[in-house]
Amino acid sequence: MSFTTAFHKELLEQRRTRRFMIAIVVLVLFGMTSPLLAKMTPQIITMIPGGEAFSMLIPTPTINDAVAQYIKNITQFGVLLALVFGMGAVAVEKDKGTAAMTLSKPMTRWSFLLAKFAAMSVTFIIAVLVAAIACYYYTFFLFGELAIGAWLVLNGLVTLYLLLYAAITLFYSTLTRTQYVAIGLSFGTLILLGILGSLPGIGANFPDALISNASLIMMGETPKNWSGLWVSLGLIFLSLAGAWLVFRKQEL
Amino acid sequence: MSDLTILTKYLPLLIPIALLQFGLLVAALVDLMKRENTKGLPKWGWILVIVFVNLFGPIIYFIFGRDE
Repeated sequence: MSFTTAFHKELLEQRRTRRFMIAIVVLVLFGMTSPLLAKMTPQIITMIPGGEAFSMLIPTPTINDAVAQYIKNITQFGVLLALVFGMGAVAVEKDKGTAAMTLSKPMTRWSFLLAKFAAMSVTFIIAVLVAAIACYYYTFFLFGELAIGAWLVLNGLVTLYLLLYAAITLFYSTLTRTQYVAIGLSFGTLILLGILGSLPGIGANFPDALISNASLIMMGETPKNWSGLWVSLGLIFLSLAGAWLVFRKQEL
Repeated sequence: MSDLTILTKYLPLLIPIALLQFGLLVAALVDLMKRENTKGLPKWGWILVIVFVNLFGPIIYFIFGRDE
């Protein structure tokens, strides 16, 4: 059983467990609602009893507000999906014995792990792509045209950010037999990386810098520090390599 | 601008969102009805979650409620 066969099996599983559909629906919904929420915030506030007093203080929403809302929603809920999809990827298969059954066929453990990550990557790439198209259309209708090149770069960076957490959760899922331990550890890592990313001076070297760079690009600026990108790619590689090192000697 | 004017203006943008949410809800209910066993909650509990927890109810069901 080669990588290709394992990959097809994983893609089928993504479809049958409805993960593919969930990722697309959730991210597309946020892609649609983000510009709409940005546009309607002043109206929503005036509808709240007593909100009329604040409506004068709220500046007129701009295209940047729509993009900021999109980035915030897509990263928050996308990371949550990456954690939930990745938590049981290996842990559940070990617990139920299906990993042992699959690996009794001629397939390397590396292919087994890589196929899981590749299938999750396909799901997130397609989901972000569809969400980006939906958000582009809604933003165009409500605010005006977005710079298409910058929009593509932004979504590429967002996808990479989500894949980083998918890889980290896959690593923890390999480490443990319980999916809830895996998601707990991933959540801890998410908080830790978030804290490190907010530290003055060194913060720009951590994965959260991908998102701040994406925002800068959308505003027409050129980010100077790209170390967050290399650190993220490095962490994806380390997570996958770490998962393989643990998994190759693991008793199933 | 009155509430009705705002609603009329943004209706073409709100319809796809409402349809997507409704489609997800129906898909979750159909999946639940076809299933003999569920995880975490009994069937009636999942029906309440799917119908009353806006947007996230069907998603929570698909991720945690289906007995594979």
